[in-house]
Amino acid sequence: MTLSRIKQVGYLVPFVLALLVSGCHGKTAAAPTPPPPAPATPPPPAPTITLRAQPASIERGSSTTLQWEARNASIVTISPGVGDVPVEGNRAVNPASSVTYTASATGPGGTVSDTARITVNVPAAAAAAAPSRTPDVKADPLATFNQNVKDVLFDYDKADVRPDQVSVLQSNAMWLKANATIRFTVEGHCDDRGSEEYNLGLGDRRANAIKEYLISQGISANRINTVSYGEERPICREQTEECYTKNRRGHFAMAQ
Amino acid sequence: MKRLIIIAALCLATTGTVSLGLQQGRIDSGTNRGIIGVKIAVPEFQASASDTKAASLAAVFNKVLWDDLDYSGGLTLVSRSLYPLGKFSSPGEIKVEDWTTPTVDAQFIAFGAVRLMGTNLAVEARLWDLKTTQNREAIGQLYRSEDTEDGARYIAHKFADAIIELIGGGIRGISQTSIAYISERTPGVKELYLMDYDGNTSHALTSYKSTVMTPAWSPDGEKVAFTSYRHGVPDIEILSRIDRRPYMFDRPGGTTTTPAWSPDGSKIAFATSRDGSDMEIYVADWNGKNLRRLTVNKAVDISPVWNPRTGREIAFTSDRSGSPQIYVMDAEGTNVRRLIEEGGHAVGAAWSPDGQRIAFAWQRSRTSNFDIYIHDLATGNNTQITHDAGDNERATWAPDGRHIAFESSRTGTRQIFSMILDGTKVRQLTNTGKNTAPAWSGYVK
Repeated sequence: MTLSRIKQVGYLVPFVLALLVSGCHGKTAAAPTPPPPAPATPPPPAPTITLRAQPASIERGSSTTLQWEARNASIVTISPGVGDVPVEGNRAVNPASSVTYTASATGPGGTVSDTARITVNVPAAAAAAAPSRTPDVKADPLATFNQNVKDVLFDYDKADVRPDQVSVLQSNAMWLKANATIRFTVEGHCDDRGSEEYNLGLGDRRANAIKEYLISQGISANRINTVSYGEERPICREQTEECYTKNRRGHFAMAQ
Repeated sequence: MKRLIIIAALCLATTGTVSLGLQQGRIDSGTNRGIIGVKIAVPEFQASASDTKAASLAAVFNKVLWDDLDYSGGLTLVSRSLYPLGKFSSPGEIKVEDWTTPTVDAQFIAFGAVRLMGTNLAVEARLWDLKTTQNREAIGQLYRSEDTEDGARYIAHKFADAIIELIGGGIRGISQTSIAYISERTPGVKELYLMDYDGNTSHALTSYKSTVMTPAWSPDGEKVAFTSYRHGVPDIEILSRIDRRPYMFDRPGGTTTTPAWSPDGSKIAFATSRDGSDMEIYVADWNGKNLRRLTVNKAVDISPVWNPRTGREIAFTSDRSGSPQIYVMDAEGTNVRRLIEEGGHAVGAAWSPDGQRIAFAWQRSRTSNFDIYIHDLATGNNTQITHDAGDNERATWAPDGRHIAFESSRTGTRQIFSMILDGTKVRQLTNTGKNTAPAWSGYVK
C-alpha cells in the first residue's frame, strides 16, 4: 500500500527564529493539550462527623449509647459491628471489653471519620475468673461464640454443603438457636486457585448455602448477614492441598 | 503529579500535503502473524548545553522515545550501531545519503535537540522522510513542558504518538495512555494504583488500608469504578483520576463487584448478590440508580463487559454449566449463548476495541495453568497468546487493539505485563509488591 498523502503537518522553522516570534511561547499558541482543567464548579463541601459515647465508661454487661451526627455526607458507617447507619442517630451497644468505635462519613466532598473510646471495667471477680476453662456467654460472648461455632469446609469449585460437614453445621445451628440474641455474619472464602473474580462469586454462593441451611433449621434470616471474601482472606498461605482445604470455608463472625 | 505542559507548534508553520512515496509495512496486528514496520532511524537527541540537568533529561527523553517507537510494533528501528558518526541535532547535520545506504536503509529519521529554557524543558523534534526529495519534513514541532523527568517523558510520549500516527501503520499511538491496577504492598491491604502505559510514574489513588479490586475505566478516561471492602460488604466506588473526587454509586446490598462501563459512559453493568442466593448481572445508571436485573440463574454470574463497539452485547462469566465459562448476551439480558464449547475454566472476558475479538483466561484442565487466549467472534477460533509460564490472567486491551496487558505469576509473584498480541515486546510493568487486575485506559482526550 502506498501512503500518498498524510495529514497537514506543521513545518519546523529554525529554533532561534521561533523564540523571537512573540506569541510562540504563550499557552495560547497552538496548544493541543491544555493542562488538566480545574473542575468548573467549586469543590463540594467536605463532610463532617462527630461521634460520642454516653457514658464513655461502663461496667461489663451494661450498655452505653453511641451518638453521631454527620453533615454533607451520604454514607455513614460505624465499626466495629454497627455497619451503615443514618446520617444522624444513636445506637445502644454493650461491648464486652474496651473498644474504640470509628464512624466514617462519605459524601461528594470526601471521607472523614471520628472515633469514640468506650472503657469497659471488668469487676475484680470476673477478671479473676477470666482464665476459667468454660467461658460463659455473658462473660465473654465472642470467645464462647468462636469456641462453639466452627468453620464449614467445602470441596474445590463447589458451594454445596459436603455430607461430612453437615454435622458441623448442625452443631453450629444448635448453638446459634440456643443463643438467639446473637447476630452474625457468614463469610464465604475460597482457596487461591481459580480466578479471583469468579472466586468472589463462589465465596458468595458458599456463604448463602450456609445461610439457607441455617434458615431451614429455624434460625431467623434477619440475624444472618453474608459476605464473600473470595480468595482475599486466606487463613493458610502455603500452596498445598492441606492449606487449600482450610481456606475453602464458611466462617462465622459474631456481630459485636 | 501535575504536569504543566505547553506545546508550542511553531508560529510560522505552513501546512500542506506531503507526498511520502513510501511502501507501508503490514499493519496487521493479528495474533501469531509477523509485523513488518517502516524502518526509522532515531539518533540520540543531544542536550544543547553542557549542563548535567539538560543531559540527564535528554537521556530520559531518548530512552522513552526509543521504547515508545519500538514498543508500538508498527515500526522497525534501525540499530544505532549502524548510524554514521556525528551529532544529528539540526537539519544541517543530516546528510540524507548517509541514512539511505544499504546498511542503514532508513525510510525515516527522527532527530532534534533538548534544551532548558528557564524552568521549561524544550525539545525541538523533527521527522524526515528520507525517500522523498520534496517536503522532506513530515513533523517539525517545538515541544515544551516542565523541566522534570516526567516532563521529558511527557514530551517523548507526545512526539512518539505523532510519529506513530503518521507512519505506524494507521493505528494511533498508545504512549499517552494509562493503566489502573491493584497493588498489594502490605500483606492483606490492596489499593488502587495508576501508572503510565510503560509502568512509569505509578501512584496510589486510594489509601483505604482495606481491600479494593476490579478497576474499570470510564470511556472518557476520567473515572475509575472499582470494588471496595472498606464498608465491610463489598460495593462499587467511583473516583476521578484527576482530583480523586468520589462519585456516588448506590449500594444495592449484598456482595457487589466487577463494574463495567457502557461504551457511552452512561451505565454500569456489575454483579451483585442483593437478591440473596447468588451473583447476578445487573445494569444501572452510572450513579447506581434505575437498577435492572439481566440474568436469572441459579449460578454465579459475574465479570460483565460490554461490546465497546456497539454497546449492544455483554460478555460475562457464569458457572451455570458446572464450571465457570464465558457467555455473551444481548444488553437487555436476552439471547444468552456460550462462547467456548470446550471445558475447563474460561473466565475474565475482555472485549477488543473493534468489537471483533474477546480475550479471556483459560485453564483447560485442573492441573494446567491459566493462559490468555483470543477468541475471534467471526471465525470462532481460539488462539493462545501466552504459553505456560505461571498463570496468565485478566487481559485488558490497549485502545489500539494491538497491545494487551495482563497479570502473570511467571516470576513467582503476581505482576503486570504487557505485550503485542503476537506475543512479542513483552514488558514487565510492575515490581513492588503483588500487582493484579490491570485496566488499560482509552485514548486520553
